[in-house]
Amino acid sequence: MATTRRAFLKRTACGVIGATALPGPFVWAHSKTDAEPTRRPTLVIVYLRGGADPLNMLVPYRDRDYYAIRPTIAIAAPGAKDLEEGQRPCIPITRDFGLHPAMESLKPLWDRRLLAPILNVGSTHPTRSHFDAQDFMEWAAPGIKSIQEGWLNRYLQRTATRNDHFLRAFSPQPLLPRALRGEYSVLAAPGPGSDLALDAFADLYECEHGEHAREVEDPKEEGAQVTKDDAEKDPTPLKKKPKKGEAPASPPVTEENLDRRLIDAGANTVQKLRHLNDILRGAKPDRSKYPQGVLGQQFADIAAVIKAEQPVEIAAVDFGGWDHHSYQGGSSGQQANMLRLLSDCVARFVDDLGTTRMESVMILTMTEFGRTAAENGTRGSDHGHGGCMLAVGGRLAGGQVYGKWTGLHPSRLYVNRDLPVYTDFRDVFAETLAGLYQFDWRAADFFPGFTNPANKPLGLFAAG
Amino acid sequence: MRIIMSLLVLLSPPLGGLLAGNEPPPAPADAPPPLSAHQRTWHALNRLAFGPGPGDVLTVQAMGWRDWFERQLDPSALDDSTLVELIAERFPSLRMDLRTTWEVYWPDLPKGFDELDQPQKDAFFEYRNRQYEIVQQELLDSVILRAVYSKRQFQEVIVDFWRNHFNIDQTKGLCRLMANHYEENVIRKHAFGRFEDMLLASAQHPAMSIYLDNEVSQKPLSKDEREVLEQIRRKRLKDPNAQMGMVATRISRHSGLNENYARELMELHTLGVDNFYSQGDVRELARVLTGWTHGWETVPYGSPYGFVFRHDHHDPRTKVVLGEIYRGKTEEEGVVAIRRLAHHRGTAEFISWKLSRYLVNDEPGAALVEKGARAFRESRGSLRELYRAIVLAPEFFEPSAYLSKFKSPLEFVVSALRATDAHVTDPRGVLFRLARMGQPIYRCEAPTGYFDQTEAWLDPGVFVHRWDFALSLVNGQVAGVQVPATLLEPWRDRKLSEVRTEVVNSLVPAPLGERADALLAKAQTAGQLVGLVLGTPAFQKQ
Repeated sequence: MATTRRAFLKRTACGVIGATALPGPFVWAHSKTDAEPTRRPTLVIVYLRGGADPLNMLVPYRDRDYYAIRPTIAIAAPGAKDLEEGQRPCIPITRDFGLHPAMESLKPLWDRRLLAPILNVGSTHPTRSHFDAQDFMEWAAPGIKSIQEGWLNRYLQRTATRNDHFLRAFSPQPLLPRALRGEYSVLAAPGPGSDLALDAFADLYECEHGEHAREVEDPKEEGAQVTKDDAEKDPTPLKKKPKKGEAPASPPVTEENLDRRLIDAGANTVQKLRHLNDILRGAKPDRSKYPQGVLGQQFADIAAVIKAEQPVEIAAVDFGGWDHHSYQGGSSGQQANMLRLLSDCVARFVDDLGTTRMESVMILTMTEFGRTAAENGTRGSDHGHGGCMLAVGGRLAGGQVYGKWTGLHPSRLYVNRDLPVYTDFRDVFAETLAGLYQFDWRAADFFPGFTNPANKPLGLFAAG
Repeated sequence: MRIIMSLLVLLSPPLGGLLAGNEPPPAPADAPPPLSAHQRTWHALNRLAFGPGPGDVLTVQAMGWRDWFERQLDPSALDDSTLVELIAERFPSLRMDLRTTWEVYWPDLPKGFDELDQPQKDAFFEYRNRQYEIVQQELLDSVILRAVYSKRQFQEVIVDFWRNHFNIDQTKGLCRLMANHYEENVIRKHAFGRFEDMLLASAQHPAMSIYLDNEVSQKPLSKDEREVLEQIRRKRLKDPNAQMGMVATRISRHSGLNENYARELMELHTLGVDNFYSQGDVRELARVLTGWTHGWETVPYGSPYGFVFRHDHHDPRTKVVLGEIYRGKTEEEGVVAIRRLAHHRGTAEFISWKLSRYLVNDEPGAALVEKGARAFRESRGSLRELYRAIVLAPEFFEPSAYLSKFKSPLEFVVSALRATDAHVTDPRGVLFRLARMGQPIYRCEAPTGYFDQTEAWLDPGVFVHRWDFALSLVNGQVAGVQVPATLLEPWRDRKLSEVRTEVVNSLVPAPLGERADALLAKAQTAGQLVGLVLGTPAFQKQ
């Protein structure tokens, strides 16, 4: 947590500057006037909860085994002769793979080399529990339960500077995805919040927050005015990296430290939500352009914040319901409907932002595991292992399928049943942070126990 | 190291059990003093009830929290007739068997329907859709009203625990129709009974069977059967009207194995994740439970609709689950497997750990978990004995547990309604608020149910909804809810500065401190004063 920001909050809210501090000079250090030079790329994470079935997203349409082991849910090959009524074939993107027909709105992105699917990606841990698998992935620490902070939050902590923007990261939903949970304060808000409520409680929480901050602050910083100049002179990370093997700072749960967390969360609610309220009211996200429903609104809100030139680095949304144990459908049906919604949201979003902005935006979808290669007895699929990710962005070397593929012959499957994991999800995360932010995850010992990836880099990002 | 240990305990109940033999470290010299009688009363009302209503603290303090708790442990002996009557009158669906539920809330087309004219048909469909909405709303409404008004408060607190432990999502298919019966006949019926009975009732209830897909799980098709189907498929591609024949029709209605329920049965309902069992056990248990579905054919609940065992869908071959061999050809082997799981030592530890976390502390100590697990084992899974063991353990009143938990949205909202003696005439406004806070009741998609730890709810951003609720509540802006004038009566016609302390004391256990007092000084009415207190950090804790 940025201690100087606490000092700032204390002054703004508790009378030194005045209780009206919205938005203070601090905020505008990053606002429209000088946004261009300081604007950083934006990473949009979409978590497909439930274990999205990769084989019906990226269809290996030349693999005979695919059709043999998925007699009722397989997506037909392009040009297939024996289509039943209403059945649609996949959309070929390479000589081996095609997109599910409901993902047709992503095809133009593929053609523009914006789309980079990654196959057989996942966890090195074998668990088939949704909840453990999600935790391991969102902490980017497979099998390590002592890590309790999300990888995106750890990234934010490690790279925090004195002038972090209030909306450096946010999630347009009631609660944060676990990848964004941790000591770095990140706003979760499904749209604007009540100004009346914020105004009523701002002083209480911000002032208490200031008191706490005073207790923990470096005395030298007391009274120091934080200005944009200072910030530019001193962009040093504020968070020390923990020593190797050191347990994460997780104080025992008691009333005293619960108090601290409450105050902290309350003060951050005020600061960050006021800012988001301002932006969303000013920018008026055009939700009508997006598919109806929550996901469309979330994409619209994220686009609006980016278009308001806010330096948002990370936005994350959850999209649940991918646990298709029964009747998942083929080219139409339950999974198809969800794929269509996801694809249409992404396509609208890319369109809404425009080519130039997409140069500094990347969308990455992920899921906790793939599903069984064969369909199960109830026209669905059970929990599997290797999954797939979709990356979309202007800087990506898109238009090609990433990841090693060895087919669906039982001998090539993980425990004869699931897609194998050839690409550790941490490889993708590492490459993403390095590609977008030049973040040196090796030096920072960022992924616990992950120092020496066996794989060569995927090369997701275009050279130069 | 202590931190690492406590994390391990937090995350892995079996390890907690292994460590349980260790003596707790002696209290350090500067240990905080034990809780006062006043604090104990508040603590009991916060954790074993949804917070105190007006006068509750005095009542419980006079009675002694221990006597109060013993009475709460026997809810049926507590007079709650006003609420019971209200529920019976307003929510008839809760008392219905499944057949009646079905007939009333999703009625069949009436006889002679085809002869009706279009407006009459439309009217019927409109009526049926409305009935379908009503049955869902009755369940949601009842959850709120019971939590707020029941005198059997501990029952409500415990029911919410099991509702999440055996989570179902009302919006999945026919759960919309079946969830009411599930709440009554699985959760409530067994909440003070035996764990194995609740487990078995959940396993055999159509709502769980639908929610976790066991309804469609059948023995795998043989190679020959699959071949028959493939032939039909090809035939039909050429001629869509091709006849299937009896054998093919039977096979085509057959599905196959689905692991979903078997996995969650071990991972979430009994043993805890990856604890004692493997993927192989998941599959074998799924085979044991093949044919466990629902239908109109038998009478397990005294009703013609309910659990059905389909011999023709059951896999009669030998299975091995957790080292035990199953050769049965009836539902009996599933019952045996479930009873064994209910009495597994891993289950005792997992349930005790989870309940200790809920009632005592987000990171319950190994010693406490073992006390609960022992009571569970020694009583053969008596839930009442488990509750007693955890609440009567010294850990329950340890100073470090006091006010250490962040209220979940449901706990916050219900405790605010109780504290203000609010009249909830239509709970939909409250349910809407809960959804906005991330906790729509009976709509948790993930089978984990809602979590109860601080970590799960305390994200920056959530406060605005609590503050908004607090202020809206006292301003009469929560739809369907009024704070009665009687609440403010004692403070009427008095200077606010004089009543401030009384208001605070009525809502939270201790003075709020200077900063909050400064905030309260801005209030212009006693109502506003109440609203502001409900939004302070102190009211978010329990």
